[in-house]
Amino acid sequence: MNSNQSNVSVVKIREILLVSMPSDPDDSTVAALQENVLAAMERFGAKGLIFDISSVETLDSYFARVISETAQMIALMGGRTIIVGMQPAVAVTATQMGLTLNDIETALTVDRALDRCAGNKEFPDAR
Amino acid sequence: MSPQPNVPPAFELSISSEGDIVTARRTVRDAALKLGFSQTDVARIVTAASELARNVFRYAGSGVMRWRKVENGNRIAIELQFIDNGPGIEDVELALAEGYSTGGGLGLGLAGAKRLSDEFDIRSRIGEGTTITLRKWRRDEFQRTQSSRRGA
Repeated sequence: MNSNQSNVSVVKIREILLVSMPSDPDDSTVAALQENVLAAMERFGAKGLIFDISSVETLDSYFARVISETAQMIALMGGRTIIVGMQPAVAVTATQMGLTLNDIETALTVDRALDRCAGNKEFPDAR
Repeated sequence: MSPQPNVPPAFELSISSEGDIVTARRTVRDAALKLGFSQTDVARIVTAASELARNVFRYAGSGVMRWRKVENGNRIAIELQFIDNGPGIEDVELALAEGYSTGGGLGLGLAGAKRLSDEFDIRSRIGEGTTITLRKWRRDEFQRTQSSRRGA
């Protein structure tokens, strides 16, 4: 396993966690992601999460389910989740398969997601 | 599936661990890129392979993936085959129905893989195993332009 392709990076920007997904994670990495992200939300007292999936080349039903569930859990913790940077080919494939990332907010780029958070009173410190 | 005038031998990858699902994706990606599929079709083919490789591992424990190029006249397809000796699928129609899942997933694995393919075939026997074969044909913009010119 190439570590470059399996590492999830989590960075805190003000009160938001920026989580960058590797291009081709195995199922264990995806499963661990959920736990790590929820723990990081609590540890950093984050108010929201930006999931950067711009490197992701394959979004299958398992990966989509974990992202969708994680967003639901974060909502239960009072946080907001924005999915960012889905590649066009991935978006076409996901739609054709019938994968819906239910009720999850999306943005084209991390910049736009951060701007949106900054403009929201839920994120008073993210300017 | 339609007969194949020109069938090269298939390559084979064994699927017996979670890591093999990743290997299957990478293998199929390389093969599809080499055959000249578009970015979007590569994503479709790799995603279908990911679903089916995971099913082999989850439901049967182990199996194999075979892949090869299929040619029919000027047309080129990639053919993927997933073979296991697992418990088999009791009701193929039901398994293909959207939202049906016994594995705790979204129930989109099989149905999704079928939607992403041009040809899709499931053979399954209870207690003996399952073989799923799919094909994706390359859409050749160049050939289409040439033939429409010739027709004009």
